[in-house]
Amino acid sequence: MMNMKIRQLSLSALRNALLSLYALFALFPIFWMILITFKSDAEMYTTTFQFHPTLYNYKEVLLRTDYFKAFLDNIIVSSGAVLVSILVGVPAAYALARYKFKGKEDLAFTILSFRFAPEILVILPLFMIYQALGIYDTYFGLIWVYQLITMPLLIWVVRGYFEDINVEIEQAAQLDGYPWYTVFLKILLPLIKPGLVAAGLLAFIFAWNSFTFPLLLSGFRIETVTVASLKYIASDTVHYGQMAVAATVAALPEVILALLIQRHLVRGLSFGAVKG
Amino acid sequence: MSHKFGMLFFIGAALLLYSCGSGNKQSHNRSGGDKSLRQAQEVAGTGGFRWDMASGSAIKVLLNQHPYSEAIIKKIPDFEKVTGIRVEYAITPEENYFDKVTTSLNSRTGDPDIFMTGAYQIWEYAGADFIQNLDPFIQDSNLLSPDYDIEDIYPGVLGTLRWDLVPGHMTGRGPLWALPLGFELYSLAYNKKVFEKFGLTPPKTMEELIRVCEKLREFDGKGTYPIALRGSRNWGTIHPGFMSTFANYGARDFAVEDNRLVSKVNSPESVKMTEDWVRLIKTGGAPAWSGYTWYQAGADLGAGKAAMLFDADINGYFQTGKGASKEAENIAWTVMPLPEGQDEINSNLWTWAIAMNKASRNKLAAWLFLQYFTGAEYSLWSALEMNAVDPARKSVWNNPEFQAKMADREGYYETFQATIDGTRILFTPQPHFFETTTEWAATLQSIVAGKYTSVQEALDILKRKMDEAVEDVVIE
Repeated sequence: MMNMKIRQLSLSALRNALLSLYALFALFPIFWMILITFKSDAEMYTTTFQFHPTLYNYKEVLLRTDYFKAFLDNIIVSSGAVLVSILVGVPAAYALARYKFKGKEDLAFTILSFRFAPEILVILPLFMIYQALGIYDTYFGLIWVYQLITMPLLIWVVRGYFEDINVEIEQAAQLDGYPWYTVFLKILLPLIKPGLVAAGLLAFIFAWNSFTFPLLLSGFRIETVTVASLKYIASDTVHYGQMAVAATVAALPEVILALLIQRHLVRGLSFGAVKG
Repeated sequence: MSHKFGMLFFIGAALLLYSCGSGNKQSHNRSGGDKSLRQAQEVAGTGGFRWDMASGSAIKVLLNQHPYSEAIIKKIPDFEKVTGIRVEYAITPEENYFDKVTTSLNSRTGDPDIFMTGAYQIWEYAGADFIQNLDPFIQDSNLLSPDYDIEDIYPGVLGTLRWDLVPGHMTGRGPLWALPLGFELYSLAYNKKVFEKFGLTPPKTMEELIRVCEKLREFDGKGTYPIALRGSRNWGTIHPGFMSTFANYGARDFAVEDNRLVSKVNSPESVKMTEDWVRLIKTGGAPAWSGYTWYQAGADLGAGKAAMLFDADINGYFQTGKGASKEAENIAWTVMPLPEGQDEINSNLWTWAIAMNKASRNKLAAWLFLQYFTGAEYSLWSALEMNAVDPARKSVWNNPEFQAKMADREGYYETFQATIDGTRILFTPQPHFFETTTEWAATLQSIVAGKYTSVQEALDILKRKMDEAVEDVVIE
């Protein structure tokens, strides 16, 4: 009995030690990135932990450049893109999951095909269309083009969730006299919430990290952090400290968002909703 | 499913072709061409030059992230005040800058009006009719400020921006496509503290350089090495010290034979030069040489990892100045090492210049911008206050304040003066420049990695590849 306990304890200690080691391994790049935000250019290449900490990089990035504006621009276009995708994509996903109509699979495949071509391949016609329509370098233009990134992802993930929900739940609610929109909002949406949140978060991350579209379809008035953070690679030298500040700040919304909505990322809410 | 794929591919390709086709049509309808130039001349009138002659107009400027751009941005308010022209600008990091420029110019929408360019890009852009010829502006006394002394710009630098659009013809002749903001030439930067410690003097010949490298292996412990050189699989590896040394050995990249370009990279001079260069890399180069770009090479000199840097003079310069790098105070310059018996220095050059979009609809305003930001007054200010080196104007180099600023960098000024007369573009202009030089860099990597039995064999193969790349170029 005693031996068993010792064995269990040592196993658990070993597991914890290995997990701690992995945590160290996984977190070290982030730790290193934050560390170099406090290093001056002159001490950038020292690999020891001894250096003279400075806030110069933070001042330079956050106060002396337009990085904060780029950060706000990125929030506006990424959130806007996800919002539009949710407003349009959720009903579309529902229709693709529930209704039978001609060309349904073709339509679903077409939506998916938006992601097939590399962005750089389609950018020239897009650039010209945007110039002609007067939406080049506008929030609207970027939110629109981001639909190529966010919409297919959202529709395909959420469609799967709608398909998982038993149609009898809807029928039961309709029998109780609820109109279709109440059924959709009060019954279906809560059931697909985990999927919607996961797809929304992923869509936000993809939109947030998008580079080619904001690089080529904006720049004079609107700029995103992906483009702005590369500016610290100047032709004279790479300002690694400033780049690290930019990268740390750019990663914050994703980390915060992921932590905030973690509790919604629980699958299986719809299990057992209908008796067999 | 495959049928569906085929259909989608077909539709996609058709749409793409249509878009490109309509783009070309648009170019004829919309491009400024001579009409917009005539309009600019009409607006300017015949009453002489005035800075405010395009007051009320607006222009867009596309800039690469660079100290030159930082200087421009700082002076834009002054320019707007003097001219009454509103300026919008966008800065793009160099890695993606030319993707953006090419897309924008290719659309022929006239946006942006002004963009930064290098000389090599002109060989592509001017041939595609993307860039405005600046000669009509320069030659019109109503459009050119009386203070704009074009003779003040080093002829070697200005010449790189002139080209007659004929592949195989060297730069220096034909229309002027851009005006220089600044440039770089190639020299040897070294850490004088390390040289003093080892009792060494700066090498004058390639053989001396290799001998110095032998003495400086791990000069300050593990991880330190004698000489930083670029080595990545990229045209950037060929154009600095490599191309300059290539020319100093008497080698040429191409020759024109029977109205065609023929590669000469397997000539005896080229083989000898390449053998010496490979020996230099193996004796003194960084262990990770094949991944080295401008950044790693310059940073290693500044961080004290490399004792020498054979690259752009300004690459070493940016490692100097207060707090710029660990070795900021110890960096000095000397002229590039030459082959035995050679005393004439040939240096390749790179220039960042500003050019006008051929499709611009605000050519007068754009021209005023070009003039202002390449003028003598601005060049002096940007060199003194904003690190915009090397200035392309002689008057700046002759300015006592500028000379005093340079005096802190041992040997910089003297090296520049000794090299400038032999500085020009050493490549033969042709539209496949980036393809052929990247192939060249790849071959150099393979030779260093020992993939060929001899340098001659490698260069024979490279010659065939280069000939194939320029096969479609016919010189009329």
